[in-house]
Amino acid sequence: MTDLELAPATRDALAELLLTLADDEFVLGFWDSEWTGIAPMLEEDVAMSSVSQDEIGHARAWYELLASLTDDDADRLAFGRAADEYRHAALMNHARTDWAFTVARRYLYEQADAVRLDALTRSTFGPIAELAGKMRREETYHLLHFDVWLRRLAEGGDDARGRLVDALRRLWPDAQAVFAPLAGESELVSSGALPERLAELRARWHEHVQAGLAAVGLPALPDAPVADEGRARRTEEFGWLHGQFTMVARSEEAATW
Amino acid sequence: MIHGGNVRAPDEELALHYAREFYGRRQESHRLWVVPREAIVELDDPDLLQPPFDRSFKRPGGYIIKHKLEAAKARAAQGGDGS
Repeated sequence: MTDLELAPATRDALAELLLTLADDEFVLGFWDSEWTGIAPMLEEDVAMSSVSQDEIGHARAWYELLASLTDDDADRLAFGRAADEYRHAALMNHARTDWAFTVARRYLYEQADAVRLDALTRSTFGPIAELAGKMRREETYHLLHFDVWLRRLAEGGDDARGRLVDALRRLWPDAQAVFAPLAGESELVSSGALPERLAELRARWHEHVQAGLAAVGLPALPDAPVADEGRARRTEEFGWLHGQFTMVARSEEAATW
Repeated sequence: MIHGGNVRAPDEELALHYAREFYGRRQESHRLWVVPREAIVELDDPDLLQPPFDRSFKRPGGYIIKHKLEAAKARAAQGGDGS
């Protein structure tokens, strides 16, 4: 399947999927880049900044693919939209908060992203399969890194463990939105662009997360529903971040970067 | 094996992650070996590493063959037998 052969309905569905993939990575990359200079130790400061840059790089690749499908511009997609036009999962609506909160969010997200990318490497839409394959190679390290941190905090005494458990519980409902149904999902699944339904991916993600938590002695997370509007609801905290990351682009809109 | 640098980390796993970030994130490395400080065996005795006698003859630069080479070329050009 190439973009030349795409029916309009397929193109719209692909555009919707790509926007969710790009916005998840983009917004998370910006939140976590806030640790630059203030991470728990110098080495982690460099690591966290680097991992955040990786996510911005992935977002750029998805935005560019999206722009080529819809005759748009990747920079406009990244920096030229109003806050309520972003389609990241509600998981990325929350401010950075403390280190345990960041580790909890990254752990839930990296596990979800691994399941999602794994499926997308089997996409019948070649450009998505190719990008997902490349990203999965980088994301393997991200998952390893936050798996290490999950264990360290879980075994790091009452304060660290308590903060981690609280953060996991607080974020778990909004994390479900990574797999919130898409308007064009049936189209994507029937064309094979999305090899499995998001509900199936979500079930697999649950298994991985619960097994990962059990392995480090953390309590299982309760059942949580997936909200249909999980990718549309925006918060004041995200509004603030949006103001930050669009600030330079807004300062000189005619500029060429 | 070249010394790339140091990292501080609470365990081996994070040491590898941080080594990757510090010395590999810009694709400048193909392999990284990470060892704990206490596993390093050190040799710093100046008598062993910086002995007092002239050691220039142990370096290739210690032999100046430029003039000998020029002379040999000149002899060859004259059809001489080198004797």
